[in-house]
Formats: sequence, structure tokens, C-alpha cells
Amino acid sequence: MSRRAPLLALTLGLLLAAAASAQVAVSILSPAADQPVFGAVDVKVGVQAREPIDRVEVFLNGKLMGSSKMPPYRIRVDAGEDNMRREFRAVAYTRSGVTGADVLVTNPVQIMDELDLKLRAIFVSVTSDGSRNLSLAQEDFQVLDNGAPQEIVTFGRDELPLTAVLLLDTSESMREKEIEAVRQGAKAFLDGMKPADEAMVALFSDRLLRLTPFTSDKTALASTLSGVKSAGGTAVNDFLYLSLKALEMRQGQRVVVLFSDGSDVHSVLPAADVLWKARAGQAMIYWIQLGGKHQSFTSSWRDYTANDREYDDLEKAVRESGGRILPIERAGELTFAFNNILQELRQQYALGYYPNNAKGDGKWHKIDIRVKGFGEKVRHREGYADY
Amino acid sequence: MPARTERYHLREPLTWLAAAVWLWAGQVAWAQTPGSSASAAENGSLGLKAGEDIPSERIQEIYRRILKDWSAGETERAPNELIELETSVVVEGDLGTRKTLLKAEQAVIHQVGAADLEVLVPIAVLHHEAYRRMLDRGARGQATAMSHTRSMARDLAILYREQSGSEGAALVSSRLLTSLGGLLLQSAQQLPAAEMFQQAVELDGRNVAALLGLATIYEKNAQVESAVKYLRRVLEADPENAEGRFRLAMNLKRQDQMAEARKLLDGLTASTDPSWVTPLAYQELARLASDQEKPDEAEKVLRQALERFPDDARLTIQLAAVLDRKGEGREATALIARILASPSSREASSARYLYNTVRPEAFAEARSFLAENSRSRLPVLAQALTSQADVAITEVGR
Repeated sequence: MSRRAPLLALTLGLLLAAAASAQVAVSILSPAADQPVFGAVDVKVGVQAREPIDRVEVFLNGKLMGSSKMPPYRIRVDAGEDNMRREFRAVAYTRSGVTGADVLVTNPVQIMDELDLKLRAIFVSVTSDGSRNLSLAQEDFQVLDNGAPQEIVTFGRDELPLTAVLLLDTSESMREKEIEAVRQGAKAFLDGMKPADEAMVALFSDRLLRLTPFTSDKTALASTLSGVKSAGGTAVNDFLYLSLKALEMRQGQRVVVLFSDGSDVHSVLPAADVLWKARAGQAMIYWIQLGGKHQSFTSSWRDYTANDREYDDLEKAVRESGGRILPIERAGELTFAFNNILQELRQQYALGYYPNNAKGDGKWHKIDIRVKGFGEKVRHREGYADY
Repeated sequence: MPARTERYHLREPLTWLAAAVWLWAGQVAWAQTPGSSASAAENGSLGLKAGEDIPSERIQEIYRRILKDWSAGETERAPNELIELETSVVVEGDLGTRKTLLKAEQAVIHQVGAADLEVLVPIAVLHHEAYRRMLDRGARGQATAMSHTRSMARDLAILYREQSGSEGAALVSSRLLTSLGGLLLQSAQQLPAAEMFQQAVELDGRNVAALLGLATIYEKNAQVESAVKYLRRVLEADPENAEGRFRLAMNLKRQDQMAEARKLLDGLTASTDPSWVTPLAYQELARLASDQEKPDEAEKVLRQALERFPDDARLTIQLAAVLDRKGEGREATALIARILASPSSREASSARYLYNTVRPEAFAEARSFLAENSRSRLPVLAQALTSQADVAITEVGR
């Protein structure tokens, strides 16, 4: 929620007669008002005035942090590392002494205790004769948690808002043609989002190249995909873990759509950490793999065996989360793959239950979902770690 | 996607044979040496067309002119002209055209080398520079010409060492081969790079860059024992080499020699003079602790690391994962939120990426050594080009 409170201040010394012609409109363009900030932050300030600007000063929590005399007004501020509310204030001064100001407040990271922590939300894909367009009712489902029947307390389909991370590999092996196909595919996914849905777009290689906050603003999300240049290696594990953690802070039907043209090479985290996180969380992972099946390889970081093990763990994380791997041979198939995932998410049944056998001991709970009738194929999260 | 690599073992170098062939071929071609005449390369452009059938006499004439430019300090123009000449004469896939070029260039080198053997150094460096630029340009469809100019640089370096026999010549040749190996590695040609490094090490057993290059190729190809062998040689020559120590630790870890690996990593993190591998040493120490199910120790290591490298996104992610597993999810979440909010995590190449790629800095010393040695011999080359000494290289060696 934005807590921006723009001010148009006139100093006491201003004569009323001059006010009409000497107003200074100031706007803090970044950081974003509703996002937490830490460390070095570039504060960008937009100023409109009818006379020349002498300087722009930036204050953080009342303390002067720096000034700029030339547009574009950009002042680097050390915001510190504490998780706290911060008030940025930008003041522009004209040469005649007229001032204008804007105030922007950033929030700390909201770490909320989930009141419904024990509610397990399971998203179930059911297909019959290749079709997911079925009309099943709550009574058609039975949930077993470690073999114990559970009471379904929430049931729905295409009702919960979707919260997605589009985690897109733009490492150096991606050619221009492929990057364009990723852009189109991701855009198709974003275009299919409903107003209540939100997404975060993260372009990664061995580092984060671009990142948006979670937002429903499709234009802002899509603009992140423009003019992308590939660079660096591939660190799937690290950024998949980061995406799963980011989704922990959100609600709704949570999903990571990972696109990558190769396996992990440069991560510091083993895929076992991603698997652990996938088991402990509630987000699904879909992995669009360009280039077909995994092939054994060696690098400075891992030998053939270790890389194969990494792939197996990652594949397991995807499967156990209730998502799936979509192998594609050509970049041209990407739009279809993204659309396919979105359609599948829309057609999933959402079942919620409070496990009657929860102990919080971190042990694995196997989930079985049974659907009345013959011939249906059922896919869902395979289980969870009971934390 | 990671580059596919193949398992292989290094072959015996064949270059010594090539050097012998050089001497013979040069003498034959020299008989066709023309007199000097005006060149078309007045303005830095030779005006040659790809695949043009240029007679040997003209090739020699142009090549001589290029050498003259090089000796006069035309460091931009001469390598570009050499590229133009070689890519014009050599038709891709037609080895006959390469042979024509080789003979013509040998003839000129034979003639100028007769005056003073030291001219081989700047000529070798000229070919090296041309090769570097061809790689930079990604010279598609010019593999044969590229291979030719690279072979010229290598063979001239070896010939110089063979003919001179001095320790100084061995150092120069070794550095040139090292630099060529680095360029090959940058273009993912591991086998020829390994051969270059091997030859460089044979010429100078304490050539750290070549030893490290060789060890890295073994490491990339999962030949851990060989990697360890060469990394130990790196540390014999340069005990404080941080990259060598880190790579040795990683390879020892692969061999389950955890105690020695840990000792090396501890030493790296204790150093007050951090290098690019220092954050990696912290990361791997923490991983060792995590693998041994000692999360408190992993956390301690990572917190120490973040005090030194507070903007390192990778260390932050790793600490978040350790805390998460310990059940301290709130702090883990706050750490991840910090990365998401921090643009600084999106800028630089990660050290983990650098570890698995070729850092041009690794060969900077070899290149500056070469440049210096080439520059000091340019007057000798200039003088040789103006003289018409009619003495074969083999006779100089007597």
C-alpha cells in the first residue's frame, strides 16, 4: 500500500504575489513507495519549476544525505540495513529561494505470522481424456494425509488470485532470437493475468539482471522484458530458492515459472536446498526447459556425477511441488508453454484442509488425492515437510 | 547452458617437429623473395579481396610492409593489415592457400631473421595480436586463417627458443604460449589450450599462469588427480597464490581430503588482503559445515563473511538458506527481502561465474611481459627489414 504524501511547500519567505509564478513541483521517482529498501539506494527526483533550480537535497529520516545541482537529480543514499520504515524527503531550491518538496515513505518487510499456517492449500490438476475442463465438485475429492482422511474445508477453482514469479534465464548461452521468444512467452503469460493476480519478473544468469516488485501492473512487468541482453552463467538453484522465499511473503495460488536453457552451474546452494524449500513451502514450480533432456556435463564447480545429482534433486523439487517440467526443443514453442501453464493453473482445483495429524516435527507428509470416477489423471503436490 | 566438454588426455606436443619443418620450408621459399616495391597498404587498408589469388611475391611484399609498420610502432594498423592479408589469401577449407601463405611469410621471416634472431619475438607477438583480434571479432568462416596465424605465433616462439637456447628466450617463449593458451581457453578450445600450457610449462616450469591454466582444464574435465598435481606445482612456485590455493582446496574436497581443504580455505579467509576468491572461500567453508550438518558453524562463517563483504548477494542467499533450515525463517525472509530491494545485487559478475570462466587478468602478466619484450626488439626488426643480409637462420645458430 502506498503511503506517499506529496507536498507542495512554499517557504515562509515567499511573497504571495510571486507564488503563482514560482511554484516548484517535486516528485520522488525512486525508490518505490511501497517497497522495502536497504543499503545503497539511488533516490531519483523529478522537478518542474518556472525558474532555474539551484539544487535538490535529499533527507532520510530527517537527516540530510546529499544534494545534486544538475538534472537528472539522482542522489545515492546509504539507507542502512535495518528492517524499518524510512521517510525520504526531497527538497528543491530555486535560485530565488523558492522551494518545493516531496515525501516518500518506504515500509519495512512485512513478516507476518500466518494465522492459517496449518491450512494446507493443495492445487490439483485433473485430466480426463486429455481434457482439464471438468466439472468436479468438492464431494468428488478425497484427501489423505499420510494415509489419514482429511476434511476439506475450502474448495474452489480459479477463485484464488495467482501470485507468480517469472524466473527467466538470460545467461550468455541465450541468443537474441531465444531472448525474444522468452519475452513473447512471458508477455503472453502476463497478458493472461487477471486484475487481482500479481507477478514478479526476475531475469537471472549467475546474478540477478533485472527484477520487478510483485505487482499487477502488466505494463510495468512487460517493460522489464524489453531490451534484455544476455550475460553471465547460470545459477538456477540460488534464484529458484530466492523466488520460493519471496513467495512465502505472499498469499494466493503461488507459483514459480522457471525458464532455463540449461542446468545449474554457478549456484552456491545445492539443489537439495531448493528441494527442502519446495517441500516446506506451498508454491508450485513449473520448469520450461529449452533444449530437451538433461545431458551430463562437467564444470569447475562439479563433476559429471554431482551435476547429475543436482539435476535429479531439482527435478524432484518440481515434481513434489505439484508443478511439472515442460521440455521444449525450439524457442518458438515458448509462448505455447507459458500459455499452457497459465491455463493449467486456472483449471486447477484448490482444496484446503487442516491436517489432523500435524506435529510440526519437520517430517514428510505424503498427500494422496483421490477423485471419484474412472479414468481421471490427478496431479498435485506430493507432500510437504511438517514445520 | 554449460559448454559440453569431452574427456581427454593431453597428447604429446608435436610442435618440435613443426619447428624443424619451418627451417626447411623457409629456406625453399626464400629463394623466391622479391625486391621491395610500393604497397597498396598506404592508408592502413590493403584493398585485398577475400579469396584473391595473390602471387607469392606480392604476399611477401605486403608481409614485409606489415612488419615494417609493426616495427615503426603502428600497433593498431599492422595487426589489422596482417588479418586482412591472411584472410584474403587463405580460402576456408583450402589448405593449399594456407601453404602458399605460410611459405611466403616464412621466406620473409627467414630473410629478416638471418640478420638477427631477436626479430622473431616481435614477429611472433604481431601474429599473437592478430589472432587475439580475430577472436575478438569472432571471425566466422575464417577458421583456417585463424589457425594459421595462431600456429605462426606458436611456432615462432618455439623456433626462437630452439635457436637461441638461452634462459631468457625460454621465458619469452613460455609467456607467448601461455597467452595463446589463455586466448584459446577464452574461446572454449580446451585441448589446444592445454597443449599450449603444457609446452609453456616445459619451457618454464615455474610459469604460474600456465600451470594454473593447465590445472583449470584438468579440473573442468573432472581429472582431479592431475589438477591437484599442477596446483601443488603452482603453490611451489607461488605459495601465496590465492586462486591456486582455492582451486587446490576445491579439488582436495572432491578427493575427500577435507582436512587439508579446510586448512587452505581457513588460510584464505584469514588473509587480511582479500582477493576475488575470498568470498568463495567463505562460501565453501560454510558449505563444508552445512554438509557436515553443522549449521551453527556455517552461520558463523557466513556472518563473518558478510561483515567483510556486506553487498555480496550470494553470501546473503546462502546465509538465508542456512537460517531457514535452522528454523529461523523470519531473519531468512528479511535477508531475501534485502536482496530483492537492493540494486547492487544485480550489477557485477559473480565470483562463482569467474571461477568457471577464463579471467583475462590471469594472463595479463604474460601479455605485459610479451609486450615489453616485443617493444624492446622493434628497432632490431626495423634494422633487419632495411638490411638484405643473405644468411640463413641455421647459419646464425652456428
